[in-house]
Amino acid sequence: MSIPEDTISRGLPGETVQPAPRTRREARERYRGSERRQVRGLPMTSTGARSLRQAAKPGASLGAGYLGLGAAVVSAIAAIGGIVLFLARWGELSNPWLSAGAWGLFAVAAIGVGLSLLTYGERLTGPAFGLVCVVLACVVTLDFAGIWHGHDIAHTASASVAAGFALLPIATLRPAREVAAAVAVLGLAFVGMAVVSTPISSDTLPGIVSLLGIVVVPPAIAIHVVHRFRQVVQRELDRVLVQSNVQAPQFAVGMLASDELARLDLAAEKLLDAVANGSDPLPLSGASASVAASLATELRLHLIEGRRETWLYHAITESEHLGRSVSVADPTSLAGHLSRTQRDGLLQALWQMVGDGRTAQPGSPVVSVTLGPVGTDGHPVTDETMDVPIVFESRGVPRRRLGPTAWSALQRIGPYTDTVRDGVLHVTAHCVVDRHPSM
Amino acid sequence: MDFIAQERDRLLRSTTRAVGIVCVALSLVAVLSALAVPLGPLLGAVACMLVMVGGFLATAWSTSTWWTVLTLAAGVGALALLFLGVDEGTRPVVASAAVPLASGALSAPLMTQRGRPVGIGLTIAAGVGAVVAVVWATGNVLSGPVTGVLLGWGLVAVSTVWISRSIPRVARRIYSIGTAHRAERQASETEAQRRQGARLLHDTVLATLTLLAHSGVGVSEQAMREQAAEDARLLRHLRLGATPQPQQSGDYSLTREEESPLGQTLESVKQRFGRMGLEVSWHGTGQVLLPSNVLDAFLLALGECLENVRRHAGVGEAHVTIVHDNETVRAMVTDSGVGFDLDAVSAERLGFKESVVNRLREVGGDAKLFSAPGSGTTVVLEAPR
Repeated sequence: MSIPEDTISRGLPGETVQPAPRTRREARERYRGSERRQVRGLPMTSTGARSLRQAAKPGASLGAGYLGLGAAVVSAIAAIGGIVLFLARWGELSNPWLSAGAWGLFAVAAIGVGLSLLTYGERLTGPAFGLVCVVLACVVTLDFAGIWHGHDIAHTASASVAAGFALLPIATLRPAREVAAAVAVLGLAFVGMAVVSTPISSDTLPGIVSLLGIVVVPPAIAIHVVHRFRQVVQRELDRVLVQSNVQAPQFAVGMLASDELARLDLAAEKLLDAVANGSDPLPLSGASASVAASLATELRLHLIEGRRETWLYHAITESEHLGRSVSVADPTSLAGHLSRTQRDGLLQALWQMVGDGRTAQPGSPVVSVTLGPVGTDGHPVTDETMDVPIVFESRGVPRRRLGPTAWSALQRIGPYTDTVRDGVLHVTAHCVVDRHPSM
Repeated sequence: MDFIAQERDRLLRSTTRAVGIVCVALSLVAVLSALAVPLGPLLGAVACMLVMVGGFLATAWSTSTWWTVLTLAAGVGALALLFLGVDEGTRPVVASAAVPLASGALSAPLMTQRGRPVGIGLTIAAGVGAVVAVVWATGNVLSGPVTGVLLGWGLVAVSTVWISRSIPRVARRIYSIGTAHRAERQASETEAQRRQGARLLHDTVLATLTLLAHSGVGVSEQAMREQAAEDARLLRHLRLGATPQPQQSGDYSLTREEESPLGQTLESVKQRFGRMGLEVSWHGTGQVLLPSNVLDAFLLALGECLENVRRHAGVGEAHVTIVHDNETVRAMVTDSGVGFDLDAVSAERLGFKESVVNRLREVGGDAKLFSAPGSGTTVVLEAPR
């Protein structure tokens, strides 16, 4: 039998050495990446980890592109409305051509940004965003110059109002704080212009306040919606990724441990290869010897650990939301016995009970789950099956706020009873499982 | 889909809250700054606005249509009080102050009326009422406040539709990521089991790495290289997922009953110790098929015994005799080394109990140790077939 020729690189034994970070930002991002790798229990290169990173990135991440399209439609409607109003008032304006120029510039900028998004994909780099801001500033300045002599900003501003709406689609492409800064600058420009150009009186002030509202509120709401949308996407992604544990065998190693084992095996292979072909001369240098020692230690640890972890342990540790707020006590690894339906029900119930993951007392888990012990009163054990008591203690969502989804999820685990004591919801489910699970 | 539909409704409700409360607040500031509304109607309008804020806050924990009704009624009431409470001259000013309320706050409930025709109908009716009121107040269909209100309604309607459509779209993408992730998890789990199952291989790799951790001192350079090459080869096979053919060792061949990714045979045990300076001679003939886990335990125990001979016996040769019957396979490891007093040196100190006896007992076998000072050592290993 022929084995394909080895393709591993002849680098240093052990870890591949990354070049030092060049900028502070790079160092921070790398640190965050390594931290996430630790926290989430997913290897960096897996689809799940990549999707989570992508969803957390500002810009047109997972689904925000379509939302941005909607925002573009909204701002186009606003712009068309503005143009119609502007043309209807052409005769009342002291210097309509300057405002018309502002509208022209606005249209050119909108078409430019649209074409660039179509060509280069749904992203807006920092410099491009800066350029857009400069163009919008020109639009606002031109429009302000055009309406200056009217001394009635509330009834004459047109293209400058559209500049606020132009920030709506940008809110899906850039980090919130940048857009918020742009909104704040625009709002201040309007306040300054109103104070300078328009005599402030009880007749004009209401109109000015409404105008400010029209300029500032839509992009501010857009920032809020995009933020919440991202949260929804990240949560759902987290939930869907964790859901894959439902089909895991009774005991699993977990994706990270498996990845680590492969990495250690590869590092050991490289080291041994280097020793065998003499590129690492014997006796080994101190550095290589310590690499060998740490590889041996890590490999030993990885070969011992990992066999006794259930799907529930992996689900909780891999999930950003559940990991923060759920504690599990399962000393005898009973979770491994649960069937797929029961596991699904248990996870669903946890997601429902966790809510947004906040409690009155910080530090304590929002939901505690205890599995077992088996054979206690009212939980019979037979040759084939056993009745595992699963006890939930939930401080997350009050009982009346738990919807039918939560109760039907609990029903899937087994018959349950629930009580409320001191604001803490206690649910005890009778989960009848196979003593010799096939999974 | 259940879960994300719930999340979508929460997103829309929170947007309703944000839009509604901000717009009411704006209108409140604008109306107060107009200084045109007499105290009576003003207090009434402010009360109505506070009721609206309460109604919006209630969407956080209740989805009842009654809250929508209350909010809309309060909004229309506020508009009526404001417009009817002032004279004709100041009415357009108050109208421009009421634009945020009439456009944003009254249209915001639209977002939470998914699948509720009654709610949608009531909200639209309130909207039509608001537009008519603003047209009447300003006396012009094309006035700024009227276009502002119409624009606000259009924007809220488009946003509602777009947000509710974005969520199922992104959900489909997330589910396809989930499917890919599930497949990856299964593959990685299988891979981890395969690697962890190759215990015997890892045992020799760990032994070699431990030697290398001491810079390879104490073993001849040539032997170290050969051992490293052999282990690297086995690791490469493991990485490439190959199943090397078992090799013959003397006349005895031990084969796995079931196919497993790595064959490790008596021959490689012999080679391993040969390189480290212990000559192992095999005795016995025949072919034994063993279950994978039994074979692993058996060979690991055997390797441990030979390692003890190498370290402690002070001789360069060991004999291994293998016999088998229908139930068991036995290996007798003998050396003519220094031996030791069984009572003086406890078995634990040699790691004998842990690394040999327990390993074999795990698979239903056993091990016995015989020795006396000056007359060598014999270990009998037993494993079930």
